[in-house]
Amino acid sequence: MKKLLLTGIPANSGTAQGRAKLFFPGNSAAEFNDGDILVTTLTDPTMVGAMIKAAAIVTDIGGITSHPAILSREMGIPCVVNTKNATTLIKDGMLIVVDGEKGEVYALDS
Amino acid sequence: MVKKEKFMHWIHKFNKGIYQIYAGNTIEAFQPLDFFHFLPLWYDLWIEKIAKVMDMLELDKKSYHEIKKLLPTPSNLRAILQKIMPSYRAFTIKNPAQVKRVTEFFARMLMEACPTDPFAENSSPLHSPEEIAQLLQTLPWKTGTPEAARACGRLVAAAGSLAHGLYNDVVTDMGWDSYGPHQIGDNQTLLITHFPDLQTPELWGTQFRASIKELYLYRLYTDVRWKLAGVGCHTVLQSGNPITGLTKYIVVADGKVLSDETIVALTKELATKAELIYQEIRKKSFEELKQMVLLQECYQLKKLLTAANLDWKPTAEMYARVKDKPLLTGLIPHGKMVTSVEEYKEMFGINEFIKEVLNLPLSPHPVT
Repeated sequence: MKKLLLTGIPANSGTAQGRAKLFFPGNSAAEFNDGDILVTTLTDPTMVGAMIKAAAIVTDIGGITSHPAILSREMGIPCVVNTKNATTLIKDGMLIVVDGEKGEVYALDS
Repeated sequence: MVKKEKFMHWIHKFNKGIYQIYAGNTIEAFQPLDFFHFLPLWYDLWIEKIAKVMDMLELDKKSYHEIKKLLPTPSNLRAILQKIMPSYRAFTIKNPAQVKRVTEFFARMLMEACPTDPFAENSSPLHSPEEIAQLLQTLPWKTGTPEAARACGRLVAAAGSLAHGLYNDVVTDMGWDSYGPHQIGDNQTLLITHFPDLQTPELWGTQFRASIKELYLYRLYTDVRWKLAGVGCHTVLQSGNPITGLTKYIVVADGKVLSDETIVALTKELATKAELIYQEIRKKSFEELKQMVLLQECYQLKKLLTAANLDWKPTAEMYARVKDKPLLTGLIPHGKMVTSVEEYKEMFGINEFIKEVLNLPLSPHPVT
């Protein structure tokens, strides 16, 4: 059962399912597991170690030319930006689906 | 329609290309400083310095091909132009004739460097068809796989993030450019990604020095269409799957072809250095950040100024303009998303620039 949690700007297409990991500047990439979905306010280069392990990226702010959008396109992973409150509504460990085509994020029953 | 395009003044083509950097974006997305309220504090002094080097090297008489080794990459030239224009309206000393001369010089360099799409409305065609044919024939291509496509993407993400830290968000293109996409036959596309200098000792010493200086990725795709918009790091997928669609690839660092194992190791190294450098940037005080950005901005024309025996570093007057000064306010609204070229021109003061500096009508059609 999946429930629409958030909508934002679709920044790179594709769909990915995984565990959400809230990640912020100062967090260590060692805490980020391969295939987790990176959820943050806006990525910056302090997060690149986590970004290259991520299955998808979801951010609160940013546009289609922002840092997460550009790098997700390079890596071919789904990305939804400008969801406004991803870091509030998504909890660590939550099972989510990111639809980078529609710019939608769904919660799944874990 | 074609005729109108042909006679359109460069500024209107430039706006169509560069707007795509800002589309759907707010100025908060640019890090680590609000550049748009910082650069106008001192940019008039930099323009003055550029005009001086233009006189000394007689640049008005030189072609792009004569001086290309002294210039940054095409995307960096576009980035310099896109920072001068919104800054102009808040210049301390306004010299529209000097600003016109400098901006028209950079525009001419772009028109000569990438004649078929100088302002990256859709592409950045730095290489001629003959050069592309030679690359296709002579590079030691490897067969593409989804794993290789992901590895290349991660390498670009890591190197791009390091460039972002070394140069900052609005100078990134000096360290990260892309050329193409070049259509090969009916359904293939070549994209060239270039990191010209990942070491920059003049900006960072040896603290975050990468093990390589220059990096190229050549990627040939089948049934994948790209667009390159505004500046080189903005490669936008138009259709197809870049993971399954990678047909051939080759990665070259400092002239040497990298193995797949080396690509993975280099990605890890560059990602770690990108994290470290940005952690360092995040620790900087407001005064230190202003000084860092000042240095990074002036570094863009280091080769050109050095060729004229001028010091490329910020002058004492530039430092004095920013020392203990707050950022300007109210030039560009915070939190407002740009949704059209006309809105971009209005918000970023481009209309004032067109009227006051270029003495042109705001309408793009037609210029005869």
